[in-house]
Amino acid sequence: MSPFIKIPLVLALVTFFTSGLLVFSEKATHDKIAQQKKMLLLESLKELIPDELHDNDLTQDSLLINHPEQLGHRKEQALYVGKLNGKTNVIAVPVTARNGYSGDIDLMVGIKNNGEITAVKILEQHETPGLGDLIQANKSDWLKKFPSLSLNKVGIKNWKVKRDGGQFDQITGATITPRAVVEAIKHALEFQHEFLTTTHKEDTIK
Amino acid sequence: MSGFIRKRLIDDNAALVQLLGLCPLLAVSNSVVNALGLAIATVFTLVLTNALVSAIKPIISKEIRISLFVLIIASVVTALEMFMNAYFHELYLILGIFIPLIVTNCIIMARAESFASKNTIWLAIKDGFFTGLGFALVLVVIGAIREILGNGSLFNQAQLLFGDFGKVLHWQIFEDYHGFLIAILPPGAFFVLAILIAIKNKVSK
Repeated sequence: MSPFIKIPLVLALVTFFTSGLLVFSEKATHDKIAQQKKMLLLESLKELIPDELHDNDLTQDSLLINHPEQLGHRKEQALYVGKLNGKTNVIAVPVTARNGYSGDIDLMVGIKNNGEITAVKILEQHETPGLGDLIQANKSDWLKKFPSLSLNKVGIKNWKVKRDGGQFDQITGATITPRAVVEAIKHALEFQHEFLTTTHKEDTIK
Repeated sequence: MSGFIRKRLIDDNAALVQLLGLCPLLAVSNSVVNALGLAIATVFTLVLTNALVSAIKPIISKEIRISLFVLIIASVVTALEMFMNAYFHELYLILGIFIPLIVTNCIIMARAESFASKNTIWLAIKDGFFTGLGFALVLVVIGAIREILGNGSLFNQAQLLFGDFGKVLHWQIFEDYHGFLIAILPPGAFFVLAILIAIKNKVSK
């Protein structure tokens, strides 16, 4: 057979089989991965909306939101509402930072009615190991600075990394990742303010 | 030990003698569990890619062999990544970028090119397994040394790999150990690897 026929034929054949392998793996793991992510999320929710701040079933009180401009969402994401005696007390806002160093960073920010953060959780990130990935709670204490802060306490002008004239430390060797995360948290806080003042004013605990 | 196995585990060890695949070796060896997780994934990948490369040996032409190897290696690793994501989710989150980066581990390309594409499937599988094992041993030994020096423990977070049984494995060797940070940080990996290579050279002489 002439090499001009054989070479493309072999390439096509091998590509066909390797694609088949990928399709099979995707089918075999898709549901399990979704289930694992959900379990991890429920685990995170315990920190974002602590048990003493809500008495409802969080998986029931969630609403799907999609704000590509404000919160960087690429598809609908679940926002969880922690209620006490039927009134909104804490919400966990999903936010995606699109300006990380390496792809999207998915976060959840838990925010009380008074604008104070309960916790910040990183759900997914692909930042440089040893530098950008230090934003993760199991790798450094960087995320632990945020709980109990609010936009009012810090001031919107200071809600930046130090390099940009704000008050949050960057991580040595990595400025882009913390900058993206700090900004995403700010967007979540602003969103929470709008969320309370517009749609859900009546039923919140003041 | 037959010469075939000995060569791959010791005399031509991929990590200590050929110095291949150093990026994951240095980056993920900061604890035994991380090292073991990547080691198992690498051995799996090597066995599978070697078997597949050997299986398509009759239709490989030399002009496109590298493309075919890349295609096979990348798909196998991606499939493996999905399975780890599904069944070892927390470990997957810790190993993160290093699982897709197995694609770039040059041991795999080296074995495909120099051995699997010229030998029978069974030999290729054996080669993949023992070359991978040689790499895995070094990875785990470095992980153990760095974890003991850096944390004073062994098998910390082993539940990520072994489930509840892993919690039993956790062994705090030194109580109240304050940690020796440099062993955990990247320089520690270079020091430990250098010492292992020096020992290997001394012993082999």
